[in-house]
Amino acid sequence: MNVLIIDDAMVMRNIHKNILLEFGLPDSSLYEAPDGKAALQIATSSAIDLFLVDWNMPELSGLDFVKAVRAMDTYKATPIIMVTSEAAKYNVLEAIEAGVTNYIVKPIKAELLKDKLEKYMLGR
Amino acid sequence: MKAKYINPFLTASMNLFKNYLGVDCTSGAPFLNTDPQNLEEVTGIIGLAGETVGAVVLSFERETAMGVASKMAGKQYFNLSNEVIDIVGELVNIVAGNAKKDLLEFRISISLPGVLVGSGSKIKWPTGVPVITIPFDSDLGPFSVNVSLRVPE
Repeated sequence: MNVLIIDDAMVMRNIHKNILLEFGLPDSSLYEAPDGKAALQIATSSAIDLFLVDWNMPELSGLDFVKAVRAMDTYKATPIIMVTSEAAKYNVLEAIEAGVTNYIVKPIKAELLKDKLEKYMLGR
Repeated sequence: MKAKYINPFLTASMNLFKNYLGVDCTSGAPFLNTDPQNLEEVTGIIGLAGETVGAVVLSFERETAMGVASKMAGKQYFNLSNEVIDIVGELVNIVAGNAKKDLLEFRISISLPGVLVGSGSKIKWPTGVPVITIPFDSDLGPFSVNVSLRVPE
């Protein structure tokens, strides 16, 4: 299961990566990008099975990334979990409308992300 | 500024530091800061825009910033590295983003965070909007959350 972690803060990418490693995913299946633009390039060149995406990032925001990736035939149904500090209800609704599958408000609890991952693993 | 506009930032800060990072901390009474350029050495800043205008600033002494960053990353920092700066930016991002949940009167967008180190840099506070400071004491040292938000009279 290839997972692309998209966050402009390196520390957050590392925190997410450690949770995924603890969950049992191999290091070789984890991809990272510091913004939506770089993430689109990775999504084009590699087959990604799950996206973890932040909202506020330079170059291309998480929301615009979601819209762009949902427009690609390959990723119409791929799970996208938005992991962001944006906790307002209108943000959650906007993200869902853009195509996000799930929404987690930072600071992220490891167990919550693992629960979501388990759900997607079972669905594969 | 009414408590209902400050409390969301207080709640978000307590949730982040106490509940998530496990840093034992207490907040003091919020006060009107008449010298809001006079902050600690490391400050994380985020701008608020949309249906209102404002800024949120987290301010730490060097040692406190390194201690909090160490807690967040799960590894020890001994200087103000780029990683520590990165983490301070993420902390202010979390406080501002989480506070939006309880600021129901406005639709607010938050900027990308910035971090200033040292005393030479000036913070561009919104003009004519008071700055309220919430002081915190923690087992990693003192810090403050400073909020400027244009609200109805």
